[in-house]
Amino acid sequence: MKIVGVAACTSGIAHTYIAREKVMKAAQSLGYEIHMETQGTIGTENELTPAQIEAADFVLLVVDIKIGGRERFAGKKVVEVPTNTAIKAPTKLLQAVVDKLQAS
Amino acid sequence: MQLKKHAMTAISYMLPLVVAAGLLIAIGNLTGGSQITNFKNGYSIPSALTTLGVWGMGLLAPVISAAIAYSIADRPGIAPGLLSGIISYNIGAGFLGGMLGGFLTGWLVAFLVKYIKVPKWAEGLVPMMIIPLLSSLIMGILMFFVVGQPIVWATNALTSFLNSMQGSARFAFGAILGGMAAFDFGGPVNKVASLFADGLLLEGVKQPEAVKILASMVPPFGVTLSWVLSKLFKHKIYTQEEEDNIKVAFPMGIVMITEGVIPLAAVDLIRMVVACSIGAAVGGGLSMTWGVESPVPSGGLFIVPAMNKPLLFLVALVIGSVVTGLILFAWKKVPSKTDEKLETGEPEEDINLDDIQIS
Repeated sequence: MKIVGVAACTSGIAHTYIAREKVMKAAQSLGYEIHMETQGTIGTENELTPAQIEAADFVLLVVDIKIGGRERFAGKKVVEVPTNTAIKAPTKLLQAVVDKLQAS
Repeated sequence: MQLKKHAMTAISYMLPLVVAAGLLIAIGNLTGGSQITNFKNGYSIPSALTTLGVWGMGLLAPVISAAIAYSIADRPGIAPGLLSGIISYNIGAGFLGGMLGGFLTGWLVAFLVKYIKVPKWAEGLVPMMIIPLLSSLIMGILMFFVVGQPIVWATNALTSFLNSMQGSARFAFGAILGGMAAFDFGGPVNKVASLFADGLLLEGVKQPEAVKILASMVPPFGVTLSWVLSKLFKHKIYTQEEEDNIKVAFPMGIVMITEGVIPLAAVDLIRMVVACSIGAAVGGGLSMTWGVESPVPSGGLFIVPAMNKPLLFLVALVIGSVVTGLILFAWKKVPSKTDEKLETGEPEEDINLDDIQIS
């Protein structure tokens, strides 16, 4: 399973990065390949490359606010959740998404 | 309708502006500046800083309104959103008017974009002329004649009510605001309290802002204090991992980021929430009672010198933190061996993931 994602929270200084780390760790423990971009108050970091997006099975948006560059994900399967969900239960979140994808 | 997401987007765009403008005013005022009224007579650097800060504060309603409209309707929302916001600022409907104006503008623009159909040769005119003109015209008339006035009255009523509060009412207000701000460590309840305080700051009511700042720092300081007590009295209440988290939470607390406490609250929610809310409520009540005002909405200990009563603020902060620290020290259980083990597996909360939508 290959995943790309974006994390962005309201103040853009804490939750964004906590969420990124939690999701990355959870994905790695499940054996998935993942790339996560952050859109914090400082701007975009770890920007996703077109190749990474192209190769991904789905896009995971861990966001509380409107993000930039959403058109990059046109035609991909997109899942959007608040940062809180990803911080509280990252592994369960990823498993739930993957289960749904495989069921459909 | 995603009201919350749009409002949060606006706040995320607004925060750096509020901080910059607030600090400029504070630095200008502290160095003897005042707002410049006549530019022909020459002016000092401090006065220039204060003036810039005041202008920056004036930009808040337009920025909020534009950001909400952008969040709803994307790029076409920005121009009419700025205009709705500047009306709000100038007629005195301030922050609330900016928010309402932003939502109305966003919905209107999204509606226009969807339903305006023109012949092929005129398609270029839609984004360049038709939508900006129509949306600004409609929103302008709405804001001037319909939406603005009731908000001006509501804002004035709220401001004068808060300014007229005395004695125990002031303490109760500060305690509720402080308790709310600390309740969920930067979550939705905290954001409601902090939105309220930020809104009042724009109306010139600066005391709730001091309460908010205090309440954001009480949880990390209180927790740190309880840990220091546990070391002093050799009464272990934190696991090794929690101790590591406290060492991170404390410096975050200095710059007013409460979120460092979350890992600690996650494993002992009720005790942490109760202790932190009570401490912040006590501190907040004292801060309101003593009339501590903060002209800056964010920045932690570094902006204390900009407050009108820095010493009293620190006293209230210390009292609140001590209350939280003592409650935690007395109430928290000695961690058992199994607790130490469980944590390395990082337990996750059970949340309902059934309604996840894949699009």
